[in-house]
Amino acid sequence: MEGLVEGIATAFTLNNLFFCLIGVTFGMLVGILPGLGPSAGTAVLLPLTFGMEPVSAIIMLSGIYYGAMYGGTITSVLINTPGEAASSITCIDGYPMAQQGRAGVALGVAGIGSFIGGTISIIGLALIGPPLARLALKFGPPEFFALMVLGMTMVIGLMGKSLLRGLIGALIGLNLALIGMDPMTGMVRYSFGFEQLEGGLDFVPLVMGLFGLSEILLSVEDELKAETPPKVKGLFPRRDEWPGVLAAIIRGTGIGFVLGLFPGTNSVIPTIMSYSVEKKFAKDPSRFGHGAIEGVAGPETANNAYCGAALIPLFTLGIPSSPTIAILLGAFIMHGLTPGPQLFQKNPEFVWAVIASMFIGNAILLFMNLPMAGFWAKMLMIPYKLLFPIVIAVAIVGSYSVNNSMFEVGAMIVFGIVGYVFKKMEIPLAPVVLTFVLGRIMEDALLQSLIIYRGNFFGLFTRPLAGSLLWLAIIIFALSLWAGIKHKKDSLASDVEM
Amino acid sequence: MIKNAGLWIGLLFVGFSGTIFFGAFEYAYYGDYGPGPGLLPRWLGGSLFLLSILFIIDSVRNGAIDIRKLLPQGRGLKKVGAVFIALFLFLVVVPYVGYTLASVLMLFILFMGGYKWYSSLFFALCVSFTVFYIFKYLLSVPLPVNSLGI
Repeated sequence: MEGLVEGIATAFTLNNLFFCLIGVTFGMLVGILPGLGPSAGTAVLLPLTFGMEPVSAIIMLSGIYYGAMYGGTITSVLINTPGEAASSITCIDGYPMAQQGRAGVALGVAGIGSFIGGTISIIGLALIGPPLARLALKFGPPEFFALMVLGMTMVIGLMGKSLLRGLIGALIGLNLALIGMDPMTGMVRYSFGFEQLEGGLDFVPLVMGLFGLSEILLSVEDELKAETPPKVKGLFPRRDEWPGVLAAIIRGTGIGFVLGLFPGTNSVIPTIMSYSVEKKFAKDPSRFGHGAIEGVAGPETANNAYCGAALIPLFTLGIPSSPTIAILLGAFIMHGLTPGPQLFQKNPEFVWAVIASMFIGNAILLFMNLPMAGFWAKMLMIPYKLLFPIVIAVAIVGSYSVNNSMFEVGAMIVFGIVGYVFKKMEIPLAPVVLTFVLGRIMEDALLQSLIIYRGNFFGLFTRPLAGSLLWLAIIIFALSLWAGIKHKKDSLASDVEM
Repeated sequence: MIKNAGLWIGLLFVGFSGTIFFGAFEYAYYGDYGPGPGLLPRWLGGSLFLLSILFIIDSVRNGAIDIRKLLPQGRGLKKVGAVFIALFLFLVVVPYVGYTLASVLMLFILFMGGYKWYSSLFFALCVSFTVFYIFKYLLSVPLPVNSLGI
């Protein structure tokens, strides 16, 4: 309780309010501007936080993460181009609404739904987080290892069009994580004579290259053009539309929240589910695709509810569920914090300050989106040919600032090429980043478990929880394999959140 | 088959995983006090090695990806090429001329793709000095500088 009060007080300091505002504003921009998704945006802006207090840094980075979800809606509605993957489904009914002169109403319900979904999921995080963290404190290394294996299996199984490609992505991330010092003996592995590799590959150039630079290369190749958005008028639905909108918001919140708890379920999945649920609940499903307001309200609520809930596994178990969350995890580690059950115990004021800042951030975003929607729409007119060199300049200095060395800039360029090729080859990037981030923690947990069981890996299966989790992972893997063989894998769950 | 991008990418995976797997034999698999530094690399490198071979077989049997699809074409090639040239030049000249001038050169090339030379130069100067100011003075990042301090 003391931590909660302290945390709220920390969030309300002028300094943190300022960084929250900066974070959500950058998030909105990242969502709106073409060629930059939440992962790329968070990665590129990560180095800006190096000199900050950890709490301010995470407040700002979280702001970018959930702010992007709001921003992405604007482009979906106004120009039929999702600013980020989670807003793709909003194009289906949002854009027809804009064509009917109801762009303002579409953005209005999306803003209200996002605010309600986001706020409820943060309440969920505040309520579920502490007991779950207390439970996780009882976990030993085998349980943590099993949990990470389960999380990875879900990511590999659900993301990407092919299990083989997902597995390759995951193993590349794990192999890259081997570079540097062995956690048990301290022996340096695979440094190839580079002293910069002795401490391991740095996370920032890796994500900046894989998500930021690769996205820029693809956008430059496609010659993204600036668009002139239509005028935004009126923000609220008609009185007779409110009951349907509210019901869609409630359902969207539930779907987004529940799916956010599971690693591997990226933010596109709840939007697709919400859209199909709304269509099933509708008295006249034929309206969908022609400007049905519930088709905007439900999915937009679901993706924001998902965002808050997806932080629960990160805060309580230290397991990221999506690439953007993995970048947040990296930011935690860079700022000397260890996400997981001990975070609630050791740094309660930090956790509560971040949670409180999310309430504030959502309120700021509601204000930014309702009366200022027209202003944000004008950002669409910024030409990409002006934007991308600026992003590259920031990314270069950001990579350099990790260790004040050009080696990191070179690494970013190399991973930019890798990301570009992987995207073209349809090899999902999410497993690469998630496994790279988790690799070292996982190796630690595995080696400690092997010491407990004197080198017998199957000893892990004798522990009730660790054994159950490992069996669950095996079942999920087998099901993914079976679905892949039968060609029944859902292609909608492709590599998203770029 | 030679135009199959999957084959070449697969071979790169084989090379990477092979380096990890065979390199792992230089490290102890198991020591007196528990698992050695070679344990995980052998398993992970070995697994990736096998999957890389499967990837090659899969890409040869189930639909080749034309290497031309992987590489940019026409105007796209020019634009992507310009990004690489700009980045490469930046890396080469930065130790000699400092961050700001190297950045002006890089950004000038990047802006030239969409603007006239004088606008490109103007944007390159503005962005380089702004980024330099923000990182050097506001965020205290010691960027590489020349004798003029820029």
